[in-house]
Amino acid sequence: MKITIPHMGNVYIAVKILFDGLGIDYVIPPLNNKEALSLGSKYSPDEMCLPFKLMIGNYIAGIKNGADTILLVGSCGPCRFGEYSELQVKILEHLKINADFIVLDAVKSIGLGELFRRIKIIGSESSKKFTEKLNAVIRAYNAMCILDDIESKAHYIAGYEKNRGECKKLLNSCKEEVFACDDPDKALKLLKNYKKRLDSVPADNSKNPLKVAIIGEIYTVIEPFTNLFIEDVLMDMAVSTKRNLTPSWWLKDMLLKIIKLNSRELLKASNEYLPLYIGGHARECVGEAVLASKERFDGAIQIFPVGCMPEIVSKAILPTISRDKKLPILSLIVDEMTGEAGYMTRIEAFIDLLERRREYVFAGN
Amino acid sequence: MRVGVPKGLLYCKYHRFFETFFCSLGAEIINSENTNKNILNTGVGTCVDEACLPVKIYHGHVASIKDQCDLIVIPRIMQVCKGEYICPKFCGLPEMVIHSITDMPPVTTLPLYMHDNKTLYKWCLTYGSAITRNRSKITNAFETALKAQSKAKTGIMELRKINVMLAGHPYVINDSYLNMDIVNKLKAKGIGIITEEFAPASVSESQVMKLMKKPFWTFQRNLFGASVTYCQQKKIHGIIYLSSFACGIDSVVIDLIRFYLGYFPMLVIKLDEHTGEAGVDTRLEAFTDMLERRMVNENNHPSYGECIYSG
Repeated sequence: MKITIPHMGNVYIAVKILFDGLGIDYVIPPLNNKEALSLGSKYSPDEMCLPFKLMIGNYIAGIKNGADTILLVGSCGPCRFGEYSELQVKILEHLKINADFIVLDAVKSIGLGELFRRIKIIGSESSKKFTEKLNAVIRAYNAMCILDDIESKAHYIAGYEKNRGECKKLLNSCKEEVFACDDPDKALKLLKNYKKRLDSVPADNSKNPLKVAIIGEIYTVIEPFTNLFIEDVLMDMAVSTKRNLTPSWWLKDMLLKIIKLNSRELLKASNEYLPLYIGGHARECVGEAVLASKERFDGAIQIFPVGCMPEIVSKAILPTISRDKKLPILSLIVDEMTGEAGYMTRIEAFIDLLERRREYVFAGN
Repeated sequence: MRVGVPKGLLYCKYHRFFETFFCSLGAEIINSENTNKNILNTGVGTCVDEACLPVKIYHGHVASIKDQCDLIVIPRIMQVCKGEYICPKFCGLPEMVIHSITDMPPVTTLPLYMHDNKTLYKWCLTYGSAITRNRSKITNAFETALKAQSKAKTGIMELRKINVMLAGHPYVINDSYLNMDIVNKLKAKGIGIITEEFAPASVSESQVMKLMKKPFWTFQRNLFGASVTYCQQKKIHGIIYLSSFACGIDSVVIDLIRFYLGYFPMLVIKLDEHTGEAGVDTRLEAFTDMLERRMVNENNHPSYGECIYSG
């Protein structure tokens, strides 16, 4: 069994550390690129959302490189993410590609027993002892947390750094080096090392950079290829960004959801505007916008794929939050046709607006 | 007290319940007009751009009656069957409307689980008490409403020599302005129509069991189950799928049906506010012509080549 996974931000690094630790054979498909996107949109239904299309592209690339099993996570509605596996199995069948699917679905829809059975399929591939397996899982989880930490810190410090571009360079070399490392313990050490190095980046605390919150649909905010590397672009503009949704957040959220203790602050903030779960991360998106205004951010950028049902609801609500809390919000909608020039112009215009708003609107107060 | 019930979305299925309930309490019911150009235009103007056509039209319905009512029923229908959902936009419908249309009267925001009488009663108690304090009156009204709802039947079944299944969400099929009166157009062509409601539940369920994962959308389960059932029972000669543009559920269901039925004739008509009627007419004509000739000449085999799946 050779496992491949679809991409979502930096998850591939943690998965690599996990499978290296377990001693399971795996293929990490090339990072999302134009080819994956064009293959994916060719074989997917037209009106499917962008993540689906990219995933199909990833599978095809992964299987081409020798994988025979696809590992993905699922949910049980009401957003269509839960139906991904159903359709993807059929599409690959139609393309005459042989691959097994292991779908780690939500406990609510398949039951705990079935979930453990599916995890066992992967676990039985590994020849390690149980304690070693457990160790590998914990190590991978730690790696994911540290990596998310490094990333969010780098995005935030980027506004304060003395030497422009230092954070970005550090972040990129961190990802490269850790991914090149095949020894999980060494990889973890590398990550910790990078975290320390990031703390010692010379920063000018007298600066007062623009602060922007990145909110919206989880896949498109986490996967940089889909949002045309918006965080890197903002780093280059010396804007501090903050994004709440990360893979480690998602994992924590999923686990805590069982005992209903997940992201309480966020949900409390969203209560005023959207008191109920409507699927996807619409509620989190609304909550983040409210929190962003509380934390005195200059603006927020919402990103979601075309046709994303939950985010359409939150997009309808955001203008009210924008008015009530006096927080400028830009909605960017991405799909396989997104043109870079128009997209960048809008981001630049938005950042200009935030800058001038600070100069002219608040200066008089 | 005047209670507004907009004639959009699942009005076609559940209007009896809401109308009977508020009527028995002595409230005056204010319905919006049937969908027309004005309603469509107001809807498109107020609603968030990315939403699907039925949701936009719903906004138009609400906007057209908002100044005449003291309370507008915007049902936040979370589930209609146990353990299944409908579209996420329904779960956030009151918020979408409140934040898109200005100067709204009070609206109903409590969630509704249409299969669960307990939450329905809670809903009725909350909004009924705005009209009367008499609890037993509310309970009585609730029971009459339930009874009226249980008698409600939707769906079209008029079988002729050539029959098609008219698939799609109930609010697309039942709104003749939205779907450009496709039902009467088909009738005029002498084509029989059947909708998903008439598939025997047990057969339909067994078809759904073939799926890898239990579907979590009620619409998906019904449409998929019914179309596969009709096709296997040879009840229909083709499927006409009415889908609103950017409908997330349809993007899954249409392709699932296609994968399971293979060569079976299926026409997908995408509807949005820009849809031109002439183009739809042409496609309908071509499709029905094909069905007719297929019966005469082709002995129900695909005429040429293979079904090319393009997504």
